[in-house]
Amino acid sequence: MSQIKLPRKSTAIDMTAMCDVAFLLLTFFMLTTKFKPQELAKINVPVSTAQNPVPEANVLTIQVNEKGKVFLGVNDQHTREAWLDKIAVHYKLPAFDESQLDNFKLMDAFGVPIEQLPRLLNMEPEERAGHAQPGIRLDSLDNQLGMLVKLAKEANEELLIALKCDGATDYEKVDKVIQTLQAQKVYKFNLITSAKPLGEGRE
Amino acid sequence: MASPDGGANRSGKKKVRTKKLSTRVDLTAMVDLGFLLITFFMLATSFNKPKAMEVNKPAQDENVATEDLPEIQQSKTYTVLIGTNDKAYCYSAGADETGSIAVDSTDFSRNGLRERLRERQKAVAAQWGSQDELFVLIKPLPQSDFRNLVNVLDEMAINGIKKYAIIDEFSAADSSIVGQIGQYLGTKQATN
Repeated sequence: MSQIKLPRKSTAIDMTAMCDVAFLLLTFFMLTTKFKPQELAKINVPVSTAQNPVPEANVLTIQVNEKGKVFLGVNDQHTREAWLDKIAVHYKLPAFDESQLDNFKLMDAFGVPIEQLPRLLNMEPEERAGHAQPGIRLDSLDNQLGMLVKLAKEANEELLIALKCDGATDYEKVDKVIQTLQAQKVYKFNLITSAKPLGEGRE
Repeated sequence: MASPDGGANRSGKKKVRTKKLSTRVDLTAMVDLGFLLITFFMLATSFNKPKAMEVNKPAQDENVATEDLPEIQQSKTYTVLIGTNDKAYCYSAGADETGSIAVDSTDFSRNGLRERLRERQKAVAAQWGSQDELFVLIKPLPQSDFRNLVNVLDEMAINGIKKYAIIDEFSAADSSIVGQIGQYLGTKQATN
């Protein structure tokens, strides 16, 4: 009986194609990635079936956390620069120097009363990350939120207002912010939500 | 032409052979690295892009007298009070029928508020000819969660309700309902 001899194959596979795919994907992810911004406050936005994406530029985001603390930020650096100038002039703060301006340009959002802003800008980034910010003041006597929104709108006229609130925030606290906006003649704004899978909502 | 090499060959001496090396490189390590980086970028990317829901509030103009504002017939309205603990209280009667208002206590699930809104849409369509005549008054109580306001606004979009308003003022009927369900209006005064 003659045995059939199977040719012995090498176990080494050609990896070239796999390597190509891996690097193609890598390039794709590197180019499309937008890193998650460092969050000042933990905000769990509610889900909804809304499908409009939040614009990439010219957005003023008002963040309200569960406790009702308010944080504010603009998402492009040119507006931040013009905004800081206007803040300094309006609140008669000593002019901000180069490094403070640079720090402000790199801040996604802040939540301190205006008087504390220079001190916040003098901090090192690591120190600032650990600094508990008390939130922007919006009591009726000194509504800094309203003024800041007004100044930001002066700094960039195309600015859209987005409201990013935690789902568990009391409506009362959100309402305060909305009324402040209405007082500044902002009648149209966006609520930021996260998308719900379509099947759960619409039929 | 006598080159030193040629001379050597011709004389039949040993050839200097360079060893032929394979051009194949082991790519395993490179692939490993590639996938490691892919994993990193995939995890660091924020895939869940936030979505925006547009809200329009009425302009506050002191020059417009209250009498000039359009009146909405009670039979076209539907009021949704947003309470705490994910509860909504809906009623369709107007504030003038303070005697007995049928209040529906419901939640924000598919079978809760959505069913109520659909029923009301049908009722309005039967009475006024079109379901677009329905006007929903959304009244969030001060202690209610923001999440539920978004839920209600979302229901408006899902059911195609075009006319609705978020209202901060509570009528006498509202405050009596709020009293019945054991919640309070906080600093908001009931207005008539």
